[in-house]
Amino acid sequence: MPFPILRTPSVVLSEIISLLQPNEIVTASFCSKNLERLLQNHFRQRKPLKWRLHMIDYKSCGQAHIKTSEDAKQIPVLLAKHMSELKRQLSWKCPVLYSNDQILGTKMTVEYVTDLFGLDIHELLTDRNSAWAIQWVNNRQKNSLYNFAFNKTRKCNSDADEALDFVLRNARASNYCSIEGSVSDNFKFDGKLGPMRKLTIPSNGHWVTGDNLSNFDAIEITIQGSRLSVSDLNVFLRHWRAGGLTRLEWLHLNFEEHTFRERFDEDLEVVKTDERRVYHCSYGYKKVVHGGYSVQRVDGVKALIQCDLRRFVMVVWHQQ
Amino acid sequence: MSSTEQGTSSAAPAEPTTAPESAAAPEVPESFYYVHGKDKVVHKVSAGALQHSALIHGMISNLGYTEEQAKANPFPFENIDGDILQMVVDWCNQHKGKPTPPEDTNLPKQKEKLFDLVLAVNYLEIKELLTYCCKQVAMMVKGKSPEEIREIWMIPTDAEDEAAEKEAKKRAGKEAAGETAAAAGDAK
Repeated sequence: MPFPILRTPSVVLSEIISLLQPNEIVTASFCSKNLERLLQNHFRQRKPLKWRLHMIDYKSCGQAHIKTSEDAKQIPVLLAKHMSELKRQLSWKCPVLYSNDQILGTKMTVEYVTDLFGLDIHELLTDRNSAWAIQWVNNRQKNSLYNFAFNKTRKCNSDADEALDFVLRNARASNYCSIEGSVSDNFKFDGKLGPMRKLTIPSNGHWVTGDNLSNFDAIEITIQGSRLSVSDLNVFLRHWRAGGLTRLEWLHLNFEEHTFRERFDEDLEVVKTDERRVYHCSYGYKKVVHGGYSVQRVDGVKALIQCDLRRFVMVVWHQQ
Repeated sequence: MSSTEQGTSSAAPAEPTTAPESAAAPEVPESFYYVHGKDKVVHKVSAGALQHSALIHGMISNLGYTEEQAKANPFPFENIDGDILQMVVDWCNQHKGKPTPPEDTNLPKQKEKLFDLVLAVNYLEIKELLTYCCKQVAMMVKGKSPEEIREIWMIPTDAEDEAAEKEAKKRAGKEAAGETAAAAGDAK
């Protein structure tokens, strides 16, 4: 039985809109320009402050997702696919825009959602084909991204070095940055990263040098596949002791080769300890560290180091 | 005017065999009020049930009617169909003095009446029932395409909106021309 929604009083209409999921609102907005305008006005007057817009441009599919609260699941609200995908007849829970120009389609998709809800892009997930998205987001909004992820792809990585260099120089995120690229052994980066809360390199971290590490401005740093040697880390520790990386609280390196041996330089005054402490890291996790080495900065801040053949972990105790 | 007595019975409750400690004060008899819709059928409703309606609650809070006065002066809701008012009264009685559950299974089932029910509930300011009704309206479009939503919610197409706008402009133009002509006639 039809329900003439546009004939309801505005207070009722607002109540109904507030009960809809973001994907249902986007779908409904395609009914008519009039309804689209009405929804836009609704969200201009009642900004969905807890909603977060995630832009994904990965494996040649542009997606706009909304999270309605911190604990909620991401809901895809609008997708952009290439016209060639139209034959596959997959059913989606939200509208799909098919176009011959994948980048244009993705831009239109995300712009439609930002305009409808009056939201900035909160998080961006890209792969090496969507470096354009980084600059596009940087140019279109004043607020920097909160989270950013650059994922590697399995195929066609001939330009992976170039792509990662572009990402490292241009991507900015205030909270979390995950960077993963299938780069060559020769890849080098001479710039800086940060400031941000957490930096993760979930694989292929072989390119990170001691100098790079000293130029990462993050509170938590995790690198997988590191090729840093003990002498690199001695240089890094010397830099840290002299007042470098003042915000660093957690550093975790997993080595590519399991051959790391701790041979700390004497001037670093690294001493064995049996201390036990709890580190409260991002997202509410707790990590208990017990024993290892203690090292102290010139300003008195202490850190605990645990290492073996596979890993190097450094936890800084800013509060005594 | 026909009259049906609905709602909570006004019969006195049976005397308890042993008075509970807290029952020292005599129980205040429940007051009843009367409402009617477009069909003039009068419904007897307790003040407790009517508390759901902010509009009626506001109307009766300072009246201090006796039962006789209340019976003689039913609240008229001429803009609400009799069967819709009956649904609202039933819902208020079912939820009298109870906390309203997050999902309500006592909602009126007739979907064809939902629009009129929503208007009535909004007018009577029954917040919880309005939320339940709005949930039903929101549920109608779950998993539906824009074309399906357009049919379910009776959304005019862009072409229909444009035609309606043109028509409204035309009508407004004619009315303005008529007024000008009438004013000129008056001046003569």
